[in-house]
Amino acid sequence: MGWLLPFSVGAAACVALVYMIAIARGREPRSLGYGPALVPVTAFWLWSLGVTAPSGQYWRVNVVTPAILGADSQMARFWIGLSVVAVSAVYAARMPRRAGYLAAGGLVFFVLYETLVGVAGHFPPAFQPSWYDWFFVAMTPAAGWPLVLAAAIAGFSLTRRTIVADVRASRAGLTARVHRLAETRAEAVDAAAAELRRLERDLHDGAQARLVALGINLRAVEKLIKTSPDAAETLVAECREASSQALADLRDLVRGIYPPVLADRGLADAVKALALDCPVPVATEIDLPGRPAAPVESAVYFAVAELLSNIAKHAGASCGMLRMYYADGLLRVEVTDDGSGGADPGNGTGLAGIERRLGAFDGILAVNSPAGGPTIVVIEVPCELSWQRISIS
Amino acid sequence: MRVVLAEDLYLLRTGLERLLRAHGFDVIESVDNGPALLCALVDQKPDVAVVDVRLPPTFTDEGLKAAIEARRQVPGLPVLVLSQYVEQLYARELLADQAGAVGYLLKDRVFNDDQFTDAIRTVARGGTVMDPEVVGKLMGRRARDAPIARLTQREREVLALMAEGRSNSAIAQRLSVSEKAVGKHSTSIFAKLDLAPSDDDNRRVLAVLTYLNS
Repeated sequence: MGWLLPFSVGAAACVALVYMIAIARGREPRSLGYGPALVPVTAFWLWSLGVTAPSGQYWRVNVVTPAILGADSQMARFWIGLSVVAVSAVYAARMPRRAGYLAAGGLVFFVLYETLVGVAGHFPPAFQPSWYDWFFVAMTPAAGWPLVLAAAIAGFSLTRRTIVADVRASRAGLTARVHRLAETRAEAVDAAAAELRRLERDLHDGAQARLVALGINLRAVEKLIKTSPDAAETLVAECREASSQALADLRDLVRGIYPPVLADRGLADAVKALALDCPVPVATEIDLPGRPAAPVESAVYFAVAELLSNIAKHAGASCGMLRMYYADGLLRVEVTDDGSGGADPGNGTGLAGIERRLGAFDGILAVNSPAGGPTIVVIEVPCELSWQRISIS
Repeated sequence: MRVVLAEDLYLLRTGLERLLRAHGFDVIESVDNGPALLCALVDQKPDVAVVDVRLPPTFTDEGLKAAIEARRQVPGLPVLVLSQYVEQLYARELLADQAGAVGYLLKDRVFNDDQFTDAIRTVARGGTVMDPEVVGKLMGRRARDAPIARLTQREREVLALMAEGRSNSAIAQRLSVSEKAVGKHSTSIFAKLDLAPSDDDNRRVLAVLTYLNS
């Protein structure tokens, strides 16, 4: 077993060498996986087989295979050799990124082999090779060099091609992602601008107008209060009514911007409140261990509000069900109703609006609504939860 | 009548104080934040508290939480909650202890000071006053198999007004029927909602609660 020590040292040196090269090239040693170990293993296998030519002179070099299989088991060695080549080929095909290691292993073997055996590795003059001996002939230095070089080049180029393909694929993925981000960003910006315009208009036509009227009426009261107190009293009552109305307008506006219950209690209770306000009875099953970021909460809240109002307005449903829970980094809401179905995101702005709104957070909307019902709508938004505030119930 | 007032906006707080004093209420303490409110309610045990939902330090539903906590420590402590908006969710939370003596009104109801002070007195007496907006949403709701579905249209109207905290005579006036007829309707409502005979105020609270949970 005198071969074991030098072989182990050589193998360890090979592994260390591969790691040193990798680290010198700036790679994380962990990212190499089992790859480096393949180098000495392949080298060892090829070495143990390749030198097993039928002449005694080769056995002196290769002590391992005869030790295991017996000196005369040429046929067995042939099959093992072939299986090593086959296994290597399958491995290279299945893990093309590691094919380079196999190629490196083959090269290491030949360098070792050349050093140890040299060009002396020829058939003895009186030797008559049988058909399978050609396998060993192929493994002799003279024939082997071009073969191993070809295999090494094939292995390395396979690795390279795979890496290039990977880079291309990830580049294509990144390009698609950039397009998607640009699209959702534009939509988010447009939606925000439209929202501000709507707010401005609502304020202008609603609360502002009412306050102007209020001021005018109060001025009239000022003049009337002494001359005709009765008329003044009527006008004051009108003023009070107008201020109530202005408050109601502002209240509706605030609900549309950031609903107070959402600010107070977070998404879980706000959604519960939505279900309570829905004219159709909607059962809720909510399990949120924390609160998502405010923009996500807001988007999901308005999405649920839209879905519930659809149930009330269009579905002709007698009852609904809402489930909301968080799992694996995804906030998931399922809204079901027993209505007439036929909801379509491509038809009408409601569902499409939800989709757009959720798109800014990489959220998705899935609708299953066959004619005749039932309708199932699922919302999924990737997000993280903060655990700082948990709703009381 | 001893009143504790909680409102964080100075103008509104002084306005409310003035309004309450003008109607003969004794404002024993005015506070502007949640923790102080809880202390005042538990220490003073006022005849009634008038509480704004949104208070510092969190500026969320601090007032509501303090009121509910105070009622946990002092069961049946009369509380009238005021808010810029009303939520059925909050109404249910206030009513959940079934002790009555709660009110939940939009802030603008203060404009009509007679109705507002009536509401305070109703709450102080142990009655329930829900804002017409809360009640209105319930009216639009399609009742399920709940006991509410057994009520006639007229009985539902009576129950809705009951939830707004109106007395039988006020309900009679509103619906243009005799007070006796309202009495008959309410007896019928209590029977249909399986509310065993007990004092009238308590049954009214339970009826309103059933209504909110329908």
